[in-house]
Amino acid sequence: MKIQKSHDLIEFPDNITFSKIKNELIKMDSFYDEIFKDSSVKYFLNLNEITNENILINDGDEIAFLPPVTGG
Amino acid sequence: MILITKEDFNLEEEFKKIHSKRNGAYSFFLGTVRQDIDENIDGIFLECYEDLAVQQLNKIREYSIKKWKLNDCVIIHRIGELQISDRIVLVITASPHRSDCIEACEYIIDSLKANVALWKFHTKENQRDAVAQKKKDIDKYLSWDEVIS
Repeated sequence: MKIQKSHDLIEFPDNITFSKIKNELIKMDSFYDEIFKDSSVKYFLNLNEITNENILINDGDEIAFLPPVTGG
Repeated sequence: MILITKEDFNLEEEFKKIHSKRNGAYSFFLGTVRQDIDENIDGIFLECYEDLAVQQLNKIREYSIKKWKLNDCVIIHRIGELQISDRIVLVITASPHRSDCIEACEYIIDSLKANVALWKFHTKENQRDAVAQKKKDIDKYLSWDEVIS
C-alpha cells in the first residue's frame, strides 16, 4: 500500500463522526479502503489514539493513520 | 532532554550536559545504521510524525525517571537521510546507582522501537523501501510487562 503523501487537507461537513469520515474517504479513493482493512494501522485524532470511532470531528482537527512504527 | 533532529550528535557533548555530582552511574545506548549482509543498501531514510513522537518520548522519559529514580535522561533521535554507520539514536540515563540507569536505558530504547511515531526506509539508488516492524521488537517491549507492573 503506497499513499505517497504525508498529509492532506480535506473538508467535511460539521458534526461528522470519525466512522463516517472513513466511509467518505473510501468513496474518494480506494487506497483508504486498504488502509482501513489493515488491522495494524492505528488512528490518531489530535495526537490521541482513537478508541471510539463514533467520536465527533471538529473544524481544524488533525487525523492521522499510522502504520507500525520502525524507529530506533 | 528530548530532541528529534536532522543533525548529528556528539556523545561526549551530550554526556557533559547531564554530568552531575549526584550521579554515580550513566548508561548509554547508541543505535547506528547497519549494513546487512544480505541487503546491499546505501543507507536509510527516517520519517517522523514529530508532534506525536515528541509527546510519546516525553511520556516514556517521564515514566522512566519516576520508575527508576533517574536524575536525568537524554533521548536524541535523528531523522532524514542517513548513511551506513551513521548515528541514529542516543539514550543516556543517569542515576545514583548502576542497576537503575542500565534497566531504564534498555526499557527506553525497547519502548521507543515499539511505540514512537518514527518510520525507517532502506534507501538504494534513490529508491525507498519501508522497513517492516519486527515481531521480536514488539515481544521484547511486551516482556517489560512483568518488570514494570
